[in-house]
Amino acid sequence: MKRLIARRPWIVTLLAIAFVLAAWATATWTGAVSDLLLPTPDELWSGAADLVVNGYKGYSLGAHIGLSLMRVAVGFGIGTILGTILGLTMGMSPTVDALAAPFIEFLRPLPQLAYLVLLIVWFGIGETPKIVLLFLAALPVSAVAARDGVRQVSPQRLQAAQSLGASRFQIFLHIVLPSALGDIFIGARLSIGIVYATLIAAEMIAGSSGIGWLILDAGRFLRSDYVIAGILVIAAMGIGLDRGLLLAQRRIVHWAGK
Amino acid sequence: MSVGVALLGWQAMNTLHIVPSGLLASPAQVVAALIDISRHGYRGTSLGEDIGATLLRALGGFAVGTIVGVPLGLWMGMNRFAAAGADWLVQFLRPLPPLSFLVLLMLWLGTGDVAKVGLLAITAFPIIASASYAAVAGVPVQKIQAAASLGASRGQIFRHVVLPAALPTISTGLRIALAAAFSTVVAAELMAGSDGLGWMIFSASQFLRNDVILLGIIILGILGMALNSILLGLDRGIIHWRGRE
Repeated sequence: MKRLIARRPWIVTLLAIAFVLAAWATATWTGAVSDLLLPTPDELWSGAADLVVNGYKGYSLGAHIGLSLMRVAVGFGIGTILGTILGLTMGMSPTVDALAAPFIEFLRPLPQLAYLVLLIVWFGIGETPKIVLLFLAALPVSAVAARDGVRQVSPQRLQAAQSLGASRFQIFLHIVLPSALGDIFIGARLSIGIVYATLIAAEMIAGSSGIGWLILDAGRFLRSDYVIAGILVIAAMGIGLDRGLLLAQRRIVHWAGK
Repeated sequence: MSVGVALLGWQAMNTLHIVPSGLLASPAQVVAALIDISRHGYRGTSLGEDIGATLLRALGGFAVGTIVGVPLGLWMGMNRFAAAGADWLVQFLRPLPPLSFLVLLMLWLGTGDVAKVGLLAITAFPIIASASYAAVAGVPVQKIQAAASLGASRGQIFRHVVLPAALPTISTGLRIALAAAFSTVVAAELMAGSDGLGWMIFSASQFLRNDVILLGIIILGILGMALNSILLGLDRGIIHWRGRE
């Protein structure tokens, strides 16, 4: 038995998962924990099935997920593209860096939700403040990543290209951009995590649709089965977003580490 | 330089009435709000109390996350059964947006400080645990074998080889975790708070007190930069061997 486990550590993983599930089932089925606080496994199952079939408050589950993903895609997309362009310029030009760095350094550690209320005052409560919020969350992360990526380009390569007569633009296109792309993608993966966490928070604070709003609203009605099912959907979406970027990174930056 | 120009431009936009002051308070108004609030407080809590409440929650949750996360991560790195038993949970929690737990925690623990500190601990814990785990797993095997072949005990290897080699990565994980906890505390205070800077901003937005919102944002930005530099300073002071191996 001991040798069997020693060779296969995943057995321990399965045992640990089984233990947690068993503890959950016993605690809820025996009534030790009220199902208002934690649903029983069968309640969670039927709650999740109900969400899939009937949706939640006027939108199907797919529509809630789609709305959330749309907000992430637009905010993250614009923020990453503009942030990367800004970061590349900052890396190439010390003047631009000196101009923009104080704002980027101020924005980066600032809790994203702090400026949400200001954006709501400015843009109302529709989609615009949420998308601007996600844009502002993504921008400084990708700008810093792109700038650091440019700075880490090896001087030998730059000098080699220069001595072969490459123009500034050629150097940028063929030397700087390919070597910085790895860092840009690392920044993008960091930023999608931040953007996604910010989106869920924004939907909870000022939303009337989307997966973050769903669990908040379900929590108000003490529907813990919907809350947990929603959290599982949020987890799956988060992992999916990260894996999607990882795939794109492997496809596009196939020369990384070589 | 650029900050000064931006501040001047900001003030100019207001004095020339390009932007209505209902939407964006001028720098002078923000300074006035700062003086007013530091003298009289904001709706019953003083500015110091709000800053203190936010910082205490963030640091409290961060401390709990560190006390649980670092030992667990180290243990996972040293013992592959511990890793097999706990890593799935850490990897499940890590990509989850922290606020999604807040609903459950408020159901379980109410809307007080216990739920908030618990939320921040859950925010910080998986980041810290997986950084500590990765740090130990990244210690070169040659170093451990060299120490073992010189007759070092497991405890000695851990104290003199593994821990010093793992500390730089752990410290980086702690910085990321504190930043995450600081972001989350503001969100939690916005949603369910009766004091703290997040609450101050939220409450100000309901009274359209633009100057107070901007003041809160600026204070939060400064605090965020300060927390990061303090940890960075501690890192440089304590882990003086970073990058010199």
